[in-house]
Amino acid sequence: MKKIKTHVEEWFSDIPESETKQAIQEEIIQNLEEKVFDLVRGGKTEEDAINKTIVEFGDISDIKQELGVKNGKPVSSRKQFGLHLGFSLWGSGLIVALFIFINVYYTPDDIWFVYPTFAVAWWPLVMFYKWLGWK
Amino acid sequence: MIRSDLIRGHLDAIILRLIYEEDRYGYEISKEISVRTDDRFQIKEATLYAVFQRLERKELIESYLGDISHGGKRRYYKITKLGKAYLKETVEEWNEIKEIVNIFMEGL
Repeated sequence: MKKIKTHVEEWFSDIPESETKQAIQEEIIQNLEEKVFDLVRGGKTEEDAINKTIVEFGDISDIKQELGVKNGKPVSSRKQFGLHLGFSLWGSGLIVALFIFINVYYTPDDIWFVYPTFAVAWWPLVMFYKWLGWK
Repeated sequence: MIRSDLIRGHLDAIILRLIYEEDRYGYEISKEISVRTDDRFQIKEATLYAVFQRLERKELIESYLGDISHGGKRRYYKITKLGKAYLKETVEEWNEIKEIVNIFMEGL
């Protein structure tokens, strides 16, 4: 019977912990164990009964969808990277603007602001790359 | 065994009907479906629990913990007032659909 519990926990392993998840998991374990018990009573060996029960369970993705895992995760990640990208663009823009101002105000004859601009550019570039990956 | 995608849209109603008759728990429902259909249709547990989630979220059923058996407490489902109304509507709808589809399916 331990095997049933292990299997169910494995199916649910990538669903974030919550009270609902815990309740469903317990419910499924209880019901599957009862099924195994029934099959054993019907003349199957315990191992056969457990295997049959696990094979017949079906595709866990239905439950995941109901719990909002399938829809929720990628969308929020993309949104998150969109936010990171926006922040990096604003941040690097402000830093570069500061360098340009210092450059033009104090040393107008020597154009050096290009160097720190390149140094800062990696930041929005990385975020842009990540954001593209989620599109 | 019939194609499960054709029956999928009616699973909510099928399960609601079984809970309507009396309060039931998961394994009992899957067994009952197999018995009544003479094993022509078997519901996958994964599908069944997804339906429970959906029906509970829509407040068509509610659950409570019942007696202890085989190491755990059974979770029973009970139909709500809203669930009964929904089921009644679905049955009427189904009778309508059945007639319409039959116009094209019969006599061949």
